[in-house]
Amino acid sequence: MSDVTGGGSGADDAADSDDAAGADFDGAQRTGDVPTLSATDVEAGYDQHQVLHGITFESRDGVTCIFGPNGSGKSTFLKTMNGIVPVWDGTITYGDVDLTDEKPEDIVTHGIATLPQGGGIFASLSVEENLNVGAFTVDDADAIAERKAEVLEVFPALEDKLDQKARELSGGQQMMVSLGRAMMTGADTFLLDEPSAGLAPRLVDDAFGLIERLVDRGAQVILIEQNVRAALRLADYVYILAEGEVQFHGPPEDLSEEDELMELYLGL
Amino acid sequence: MSGSAPVLDRLPGDRRYWFLALGVLLLAWPFLFGSFWARIGLGALMWIGLAQSWNMIGGYAGYLDFGHGAYFGIGGFAAGIAMVQFGYPFVVGFALAIVVAAVLAYLVAVPTLRLTGAYFAIATWALAESIKQAALILEITGGTFGLSLPRSPDTFIGIAVPFAISETFFYYVMLLLCAATMLVTYVLFERHEFGYRVKALRDDQDAAESLGIDTTRVKRQVYVLSCVVAAVFGSVYAWYIVFIHPNDILAPIVTDRMVIMALLGGLGTLTGPIFGGLLVFLLQRLSSVFLGSSTFYLPLIGTLIMITVLFAPSGIIGILRGEIGRDDVRKNLKELGEKFDLL
Repeated sequence: MSDVTGGGSGADDAADSDDAAGADFDGAQRTGDVPTLSATDVEAGYDQHQVLHGITFESRDGVTCIFGPNGSGKSTFLKTMNGIVPVWDGTITYGDVDLTDEKPEDIVTHGIATLPQGGGIFASLSVEENLNVGAFTVDDADAIAERKAEVLEVFPALEDKLDQKARELSGGQQMMVSLGRAMMTGADTFLLDEPSAGLAPRLVDDAFGLIERLVDRGAQVILIEQNVRAALRLADYVYILAEGEVQFHGPPEDLSEEDELMELYLGL
Repeated sequence: MSGSAPVLDRLPGDRRYWFLALGVLLLAWPFLFGSFWARIGLGALMWIGLAQSWNMIGGYAGYLDFGHGAYFGIGGFAAGIAMVQFGYPFVVGFALAIVVAAVLAYLVAVPTLRLTGAYFAIATWALAESIKQAALILEITGGTFGLSLPRSPDTFIGIAVPFAISETFFYYVMLLLCAATMLVTYVLFERHEFGYRVKALRDDQDAAESLGIDTTRVKRQVYVLSCVVAAVFGSVYAWYIVFIHPNDILAPIVTDRMVIMALLGGLGTLTGPIFGGLLVFLLQRLSSVFLGSSTFYLPLIGTLIMITVLFAPSGIIGILRGEIGRDDVRKNLKELGEKFDLL
């Protein structure tokens, strides 16, 4: 595959972003390196219908964006990484851990949390209950309390809303709940499936601001987004998917030179 | 959200005294009001318990089980077959009802809980219908003749009991079962982590899974539990009513009633099925007494369902808790008017 042979430049980029991220890490409470989530020649689909035709992917520090037109397989690919869609062929690893055949409920214990499309909040539960459900895989009560304090530190707006039902919150606050709940799992890698979907346009910037707060704390984010312009401001590395294959990958600066690609797949 | 104080919070005094008073009333009921009202009471208790059993899978887990009545019938026939065909005492039939319902529910859960929404509803409905048809042709269930259970006034757990098995006795059995069902629901669904898993998968299954909840397993557990509860009531009902027939205890109306009760009372709430069960059961039983017709309650319930779905989706309990106020009703009316060009 062409994008595998391009790995040389990719490694350089990764080294660069390591340096850049190093500065961020100093201010963050969480230390230590976040493992790389990588996929090699992943094929997957639904029933007889193959969606992914050999995707090779590697997460970078900060925000790795996956763009692509509708039906390109972005969401399916994300779901292979969190175990909801089974992998037909190829491997998925997180650091040294092989996730290829793991179930979603096991993958989360390795430190990967997913925010499904639209945030996936539990509307009938209170904010605090939402956060508690996020920690169901965690046994250590002290760690849970610590993380809850951390969530409220990152999203102080939730402090007064703890007893309120999640459905009563605004779109932006619901996103905070969703991100906070994912933080409760203790994950350091977050898979975000179109977090801006369903948000009012004026809230989109705020939403990306919330993701930035997560990254500032040393988290690694893999972000699927239709709103390419807004997401590019956050991106440290970009993949473009179409028809179940990787069409481009590189730092966002390189993307601006690819006029044809931008127009063809992203409509920019 | 309306600003008026919820009705439930406006009860004067400590809530504990109200619970205590209710407990005393329930315990003294048959002695206070006699055997006719004991019969009404035991029916109400049974239907409240059945509504709660449906509420576990239909309300808390959000899986619309339209074949739930089948487990009530299976419980009844399990007890009936054990007592009639094999001559065992009731307690064996009771145990058999639990085992058969649990095993069948598990086998049914594996394929059907992959389905959602209408597909799950249709699959369970078809299952119930096929079980009813099977009971009508099988010999062991008595076929179209039904089963007549021995009136066993003196054998409970196989040993002689010092009192006559009467309406009063069954009233207390139903009271015990209903209270146990409420307790199990309260502990499992409102207090225990299990309940949050169930509600989480109802609200968003993908999100629940990505947070480490094994949703397939949780769904199966809820389904099996809810079916066993229905079967338990079915077995006691068969023992009490003495004659069981597939067209009776396996009829779709059994499921329908449970659904309506839970819906009217408030889906996914502990106390909803109590209010809904009581209201629907009393309307039905006392229809001929107070409304002058034994079927007049049907259009009445139909109207109530429409009102609930349109104006108070969280049911009676939602109104009592103050979740639905005058503003919400006005808002719903307005939306409805706009939708149908009435305003």
